[in-house]
Amino acid sequence: MDFTEIDHLLKLARIELSSQEKERIALDLENILDYVRQLQKVNTNGIEPMTGGTLLENIYREDKIDKQKQNVSKELKESASSLKDDYFKIPPIF
Amino acid sequence: MIKEIHQKLVDREITATKLISSYFEVIKEKDSQIKAFLTLTKDQALEQAEKIDEKIKKGKKINILEGIPYAVKDNMLVNGVKTTAGSKILANYTASFDATVIKKLKEQGAIVLGKTNMDEFAMGSSTENSAFFTTKNPYDLERVPGGSSGGSAASVASKMSVFALGSDTGGSIRQPASFCGVIGFKPSYGSVSRYGLIALASSLDIIGPLAQSVEDAEIIFKSITGKDQMDSTSYNLEKIHNTPYRIQNTVFGLPKEYFQERLDDKIKKAIEEVIKKIKSQGATIKEVSLPSTSYALPCYYIIMPAEASSNLARFDGIRYSPMNNYPNLHDLYFKTRGEGFGAEVRRRIVLGTYVLSSGYYDAYYKKAQQVRRLIAKEFDKVFQKVDFLITPTSPTFPFKIGEKIDDPLSMYLSDIFTVGANIVGVPAINLPCGQAGNLPINMQIIGPYLSDFSLLNITKTIEDIIL
Repeated sequence: MDFTEIDHLLKLARIELSSQEKERIALDLENILDYVRQLQKVNTNGIEPMTGGTLLENIYREDKIDKQKQNVSKELKESASSLKDDYFKIPPIF
Repeated sequence: MIKEIHQKLVDREITATKLISSYFEVIKEKDSQIKAFLTLTKDQALEQAEKIDEKIKKGKKINILEGIPYAVKDNMLVNGVKTTAGSKILANYTASFDATVIKKLKEQGAIVLGKTNMDEFAMGSSTENSAFFTTKNPYDLERVPGGSSGGSAASVASKMSVFALGSDTGGSIRQPASFCGVIGFKPSYGSVSRYGLIALASSLDIIGPLAQSVEDAEIIFKSITGKDQMDSTSYNLEKIHNTPYRIQNTVFGLPKEYFQERLDDKIKKAIEEVIKKIKSQGATIKEVSLPSTSYALPCYYIIMPAEASSNLARFDGIRYSPMNNYPNLHDLYFKTRGEGFGAEVRRRIVLGTYVLSSGYYDAYYKKAQQVRRLIAKEFDKVFQKVDFLITPTSPTFPFKIGEKIDDPLSMYLSDIFTVGANIVGVPAINLPCGQAGNLPINMQIIGPYLSDFSLLNITKTIEDIIL
């Protein structure tokens, strides 16, 4: 795996690394990918992918306001580092 | 253990306050060496204990878990208490609500002693990936306690808590339980609410108990299981009839793939001894095959990082921690995540990003999901022939601190016998069954999907036979 590919992945994952750390992660990924590639040997023709661990189907509920939970949003907002009115305040995007 | 303490409280042989204080004494004495705890909650614990004592004084009836002290893995939210998931990125995060498991245990009067150390975001098999420190194995301080619930396992093994909660995505309850010689139960996927558990891989994660006896594990499991409105994958086990098995009528399968390569000889021999004993009690033993066993770990190392890379996107530097002053959002994201995540977490996020990215999705992620289905079908087929499976939990004894930390792949192989149960969603339990030198030997018993109560029941029987 070359640096261009690693840079692309780090960009997608929003992680900044030093060039030394990039070298290390490239090497580790190569080894791990080598190991997981053995799955290519398995014949999976016509096998439906298993997307989760449960037998449950979609469950719907009424879209109602739960009055007991109104405090929760207040507490969650308090965990933000910076608030303006009811919004999270963040640095400018550009 | 829980029943004995409960009786002492009821008989007023000991007060809840004294009980809790005595556990903090043990922690004070032992934890400077073992380092199982990240945070202690002494004030809240004593306050809760005083209330229970008043209740007992007034002659009121108390619940079986009332006043029982326990430890919580630091990826579960306890309202008002620091919750780090072993990560620098959450070093200053205080939970603003209780996880459902904590809420349930609180309602029943169990008392939190503190939060235990773990591999960062539950990624690891040794606690060496904790951003704070490495927990030591109580049997040998030069060795790891296993992971990722290593702090929870060490706290139970060294009697610093009566029981502990852990989480298991690929073996994170059972492997540390085996390294520390305690009971570690991974319930069926969905049988315990994940609300308030910091997610690693949502289709694999489950919360379960680490305890000193199977009976204790059962008491704890009973009190945390159930459908929860806050977790749409949660399931109501109470509706499911779980038959108690008598050992004479039980068929145990030994999957041959689990007893071949990589298994330490002493562990193999100890498990064979147990099998002889249960056979002499009338159990039927059958050799069975799970042909895709060797694909479970590579399958896991695609699905887990894929889900983790998506789950960990929420750690963006804006929520959960004080924001550093960066001139723009790009820098805030990239620097917070680059500095805040440790090496293993970064590795798995990038790996997950890779297997999900355009051009690789079908070859890796979709392929792994198909293999997952194949493995699940093999388990289904085997459980038509046998009631339970007996396997080793870990291929090796606890390794030395530092031995595997520079070789991710060899660390991953620690989970080779445990990941299957997560891939398929079935319940599995670690049971100590012997000792070699000063280190514990363990076995794993796996049951069919949603057979949790039957599995606990038969494990109790085997525990009695071994003792």
